[in-house]
Amino acid sequence: MLFLLPQAIASGIVTGCVYALIALAIVIVFKSTDVVNFAGGELVMIGAYIGLLCIVYFGARYDVMVVVVLAAMILIGCLFQRITLEKITGRRFSASVDLVPLVVATIGFSYMLKGIVRIFPYTEEVRRLPPLVSGAPIFIGPVILQWQDVAILVATMLVMGLLTYFFQFSESGKALRATSQNPRAAALSGIPVARMRMLAWALASAISGLAGILLAPKLLMTPDMGGVVMLAFAAAIVGGFTSLPGAVVGGIVIGIVQNVIGVLMTPQAISVTPFFIIMVVLVLRPQGLFGDIIALKKV
Amino acid sequence: MKRSSFLRVWTCLAAGLAVGVAIAATAPAANAADPGITDTEIKIGLFGPLSGPLVGYGLDPLNASKMMYEEVNKAGGINGRKIKLVIEDDKCTPNDLVAVVKKLVTVDNVFALHGGSCTAAVAAAQDYVNREKVPYLMLNAAGDNAVFPPTKYVFGSFHGTQRVYGGALANFAVDALKAKKAAIIVHDDDYGNANLKTTKAILESKGVQVVAVERIPPNINDLTAPMLRIRAANPDVILSGAYPAPTVLIAQKYGEYGMTKIPLLIATQGIPSPPAFAKNVGDNNALVNVYHTWSFTDIANEDVHKKYFSLYKSYFPDRTPTPFMVSGLPSALTMIQALKDAGRNLTRESLVAALEKINLKTDIMAGPLAFGPDRRDALRSVFVLKFDGKTEKVMPGTFSWDGKTGL
Repeated sequence: MLFLLPQAIASGIVTGCVYALIALAIVIVFKSTDVVNFAGGELVMIGAYIGLLCIVYFGARYDVMVVVVLAAMILIGCLFQRITLEKITGRRFSASVDLVPLVVATIGFSYMLKGIVRIFPYTEEVRRLPPLVSGAPIFIGPVILQWQDVAILVATMLVMGLLTYFFQFSESGKALRATSQNPRAAALSGIPVARMRMLAWALASAISGLAGILLAPKLLMTPDMGGVVMLAFAAAIVGGFTSLPGAVVGGIVIGIVQNVIGVLMTPQAISVTPFFIIMVVLVLRPQGLFGDIIALKKV
Repeated sequence: MKRSSFLRVWTCLAAGLAVGVAIAATAPAANAADPGITDTEIKIGLFGPLSGPLVGYGLDPLNASKMMYEEVNKAGGINGRKIKLVIEDDKCTPNDLVAVVKKLVTVDNVFALHGGSCTAAVAAAQDYVNREKVPYLMLNAAGDNAVFPPTKYVFGSFHGTQRVYGGALANFAVDALKAKKAAIIVHDDDYGNANLKTTKAILESKGVQVVAVERIPPNINDLTAPMLRIRAANPDVILSGAYPAPTVLIAQKYGEYGMTKIPLLIATQGIPSPPAFAKNVGDNNALVNVYHTWSFTDIANEDVHKKYFSLYKSYFPDRTPTPFMVSGLPSALTMIQALKDAGRNLTRESLVAALEKINLKTDIMAGPLAFGPDRRDALRSVFVLKFDGKTEKVMPGTFSWDGKTGL
């Protein structure tokens, strides 16, 4: 079975990139607000269905659809932060905000999104978005890749690069990091903390929407497609939960190991593999592959 | 023996005899007083998933059954009685379905039950239905776990069990395609295992070597690993018993990896709507060698299709039904025929007896719908069709499961 490994690894990298995109969205929200976003998968699903609606109902071109999806997702993310999370936290910017109601709010948000999408008739059947790019398959030795696979690879690397630049070099990115590290100090130094949090949700939602568009041609669309978020959580945990490159590496590691185990052992093991990897990582390196060593970071 | 004791014994015997005679005399009246039946009405509890993620399996089929009962009522009813329906939503979950069944039996006092689109949910109600002795016909659940082993009051599998689909595809692979080496891909659950057991048993009994068996998790995202393993095993034929979404992914990988020279045989549940399946696969070149089982004649008979879909439109003008709508017809047709056969002196037991004798040939089903004293799965013969993404071609004859192999 070893001769099957090149294809298994190549496909694993592509699938892992999709996990990585969703994991990036989760990490951004966690880094900026300390909230674990359990609605991450449903944001992916909503993004995909908005795309489908644009194409099927309005007959929109693909590029127009992408812009509409990103705009709609930014709006959804901002509204959720403004209407729900900010109502829960109030205008308190201390580090001691109780996170449990915020996490519960994201769980409620996930159910709400799933409920809303089922109102539409398109959700009764399994659907598929047309691929972003199509054409004859690419042959690299024994490996066969589709153009959509290449698009996923490029989009993931692009998103990670842009996010790294944003957090390292832009004013807004630095302000967002400051907000994450000490919201009270950030507020005292003039950073609009509430707006920064809204920015974090907008970014995360837009990336989730993009992941939805890229994922839907590969994974197919149902209102339950958000279940893939569990693999994104696994990717984020393996990567370190606060590290953007870690999320990408974690996603790719999970994608590859799933396929390698599936090929060498049995496909039955595919669904338990991510959780096995989490266990191994937590035992050997609890902070994840790229995470900071666990320490009290706030006072 | 003292005289007083002698009298007491005789008094007791006489009283016992009188009670016995009274019970015997009132027995027909007690049967006639089965809940949910009057001189003018038979009350039936009809249910299926009308909300939740699996609504697609239940809404149109339930409407189809309702339509057939309405048609009967329009024609004057059955043996002088009209059908009255009490409709409930079971959401296709075991908890909800059992709650619905209990409510219909104890609160609405229905005469018989007709519903359920999901096997696990239907199986959960089996004990209660048999304890309460209420005749129960499944709506359109495949129902393997609820009909094997058979129980007295539960009847179902009107468009075939997993064993029928697996058996039909296995027979087709050997008899029509002359396969010598086969690969099987199924879900790693009860549903998939039922399919696998029968498929494998039939193939092996006919001398076919099963070179790969891939059990996939129901929530699998990437079919690379199982499809690579199948390709490496180099089979003459691939038999799939997967659900709709993974079946699309299987067909996509099958096309991507250049496996289209190997016939891909798909069980009905993987392709509930062939046009939607082709659209989701997105490449008709991947479908040049694809076959699937199908239980209904309407897919290749325009007249039958038009008959039922026009009727549906006349009852539900605002709704465009999915192709799966017809799966709600056979159970309703069977219930109607059994009620007719049971006659005017209708009881729950006489309905069960009528169901056990039924052998119904309809214009919509591939084979007869039949039960027996030890048989509770209705359909055992299905069609196999070749589907190229645009047209369906029915393969000659029907393909059956014998009711024994791989049970």
